[in-house]
Amino acid sequence: MGLGGTGGTTYYSAYSIVGMLLLLGVAFVTVSFAANSLLAPARPTPEKLLTYECGVDPVGEGWAHTHVRYYVYAFLYVIFAVDAVYLFPWATVFAAPGFGVTTLVEMFVFIGFLAVGILYAYKKGVLTWL
Amino acid sequence: MNVSALLGVQSIDYVALLPVLLTAGGALAVLLADLFLARERRTWLVWGTLAVLVAALIAQIVLWSERSAAVRYTFCVPGVPGAAPPRSLLPCSYAVDDFTLTLQTLALAATVLVVLMAPRRFDVPFGEYHFLLLSSLTGALVLVAARDFVTVTVALETLSLPAFALVGFGRRAGGEAALKFFLMSIASTAVMLFGLSLVYGATGSLYFSQVYGGLLRAATLGGAPAQLAGVGAVLTLVGFGFKISAVPFHFWTPEVYAGAPVPVAAYLSVVSKAAGFAGLILAVALAFQPYAHSLGILLAVLAAATMTVGNVIALRQRYAVRLLAWSTVAQAGYVLVPLAVSKSSQVSASVAYLVLYAVMNLGAFAVVSAASGSGAGHLPSGGELAGYRGMYRRRPRSAVALAFFLLCLAGLPPGVMGLFAKVAVFKAAVTGDLMWLAVVMAVNVVIALYYYLRWAAVLFDVSMFGAAQLTAGAPAVVAAPVRARTALAANLAVGIAFALAVVLSFWPNPALDAVSHWR
Repeated sequence: MGLGGTGGTTYYSAYSIVGMLLLLGVAFVTVSFAANSLLAPARPTPEKLLTYECGVDPVGEGWAHTHVRYYVYAFLYVIFAVDAVYLFPWATVFAAPGFGVTTLVEMFVFIGFLAVGILYAYKKGVLTWL
Repeated sequence: MNVSALLGVQSIDYVALLPVLLTAGGALAVLLADLFLARERRTWLVWGTLAVLVAALIAQIVLWSERSAAVRYTFCVPGVPGAAPPRSLLPCSYAVDDFTLTLQTLALAATVLVVLMAPRRFDVPFGEYHFLLLSSLTGALVLVAARDFVTVTVALETLSLPAFALVGFGRRAGGEAALKFFLMSIASTAVMLFGLSLVYGATGSLYFSQVYGGLLRAATLGGAPAQLAGVGAVLTLVGFGFKISAVPFHFWTPEVYAGAPVPVAAYLSVVSKAAGFAGLILAVALAFQPYAHSLGILLAVLAAATMTVGNVIALRQRYAVRLLAWSTVAQAGYVLVPLAVSKSSQVSASVAYLVLYAVMNLGAFAVVSAASGSGAGHLPSGGELAGYRGMYRRRPRSAVALAFFLLCLAGLPPGVMGLFAKVAVFKAAVTGDLMWLAVVMAVNVVIALYYYLRWAAVLFDVSMFGAAQLTAGAPAVVAAPVRARTALAANLAVGIAFALAVVLSFWPNPALDAVSHWR
């Protein structure tokens, strides 16, 4: 770890690389954008100012509506996403020595809790298509 | 040490966890019962919730009865096979000792009163309300038993997340209050997590016992790790400072209490606050003990600021719930005083104050909640203090009980319970050579007398009705004392709190000696 014995100066100086990288990054973006706007010729026409959509002429507005009732599907998706986040690391270790049946059961307890969430949504009529 | 020894299956003592498991399982059961229950039978959910809480309290009694044998530790990291050290030296995540039992019993009993004190025609979705209440309580129960910072953080979030939704049930400004509460809470949690990451970086562990050892090493070596750990410890305390609404982090308190339903405000002011104090006490007394001296100065300043600001602003409050909110801020300042003394033996004074404060504060909230509601003779959302004028005429028993609780909070006879609590805190400050803090506290107790006594006096002010009766024959429709009906359960809550307050006034030893033998 190197935390215990080393003095304060070397500990903090390790972070100076991070700071230098940060400065370098900011400088790179600033210089390249400034150079671009100074060097590039600018002769706009209406066609050139159109939004670029893979070469096809853009259709409609940039502002698209999504019905607010879909937020519940977003919530349900999050339930499954959280599920997966825990399932993948678990799947890599549950068969390893030292884990065994307890680990297997624990995950099913967790999935059981999530199932209650789905049941709640179902009973509240969230899953019926509007 | 191989990986499975570190990360593998830890032995679990299910008896030690019984109160937590019952509460968590009960929360799910209440939610499911609500889904399959007819609407007109939803009052059953209240009794179901109470049954869960009573079952958890019985489990507590079992744990109390055998606590003298040995402290139960569970979720311990198994050591190297062959050289098994005693349990108490292993890093464990969950411990059932005097401290845990006292505060778990406090949280469970307080929640019983919170469930009971719901006003008549309580306009919340019952299933979700009781589910969230029990979920939040689960977090509180785990927090007081936690002995590592990961468990503390998870428990703190389990405690807080349902509380945001509970606040949102308030009818007038619930949504706004919930949003404020949520934003303030996540900001403070972020600061706390940053602090914990610094502590982890400096000590290499998150178990209290190992953080203690790591800080001791860092403090003797000095240099960057010691500075880092100090900054980390201070930032960690910020998270708890928010939960207990200590003064620079108190701004959410009056808004949220006023916006939330009155029982939820009572829950926040007692259970959530007690759990926050438990986390603070555990962190200061167990993990950050090597830094106790410098943290003590910080906590002393925090205590002085908290009680002074709380009391001075409470002087000008016109609404009952807002007054109680500022009063809880001030009371939190008193609880902080023994923690500022850099000897862990003073912790018992803080816990004693918390227990006694819980009874009297819940009592006052219960009366306000019973009086709130809609309809004749009711005060919406707790109402203005003026609405309590002459309450003795309309509800003599409630008025006497409220006056008693207010006197307890002020620390005046016959509410001797509050006096015992304040004396315990004074003693801690004086023995810890914090004379200036004791003086600040004495001045504050005097300031607080004004607003508690003013409210208590208003209850018995019958001048308005007296004048109406003198003009005999005149139809005194408006001024006629309406005997308002209150829910049976709310009256039961007031009665239980009153009985507890009277018992503790005569015999405060269970509260005062609860954790006197704790490290």
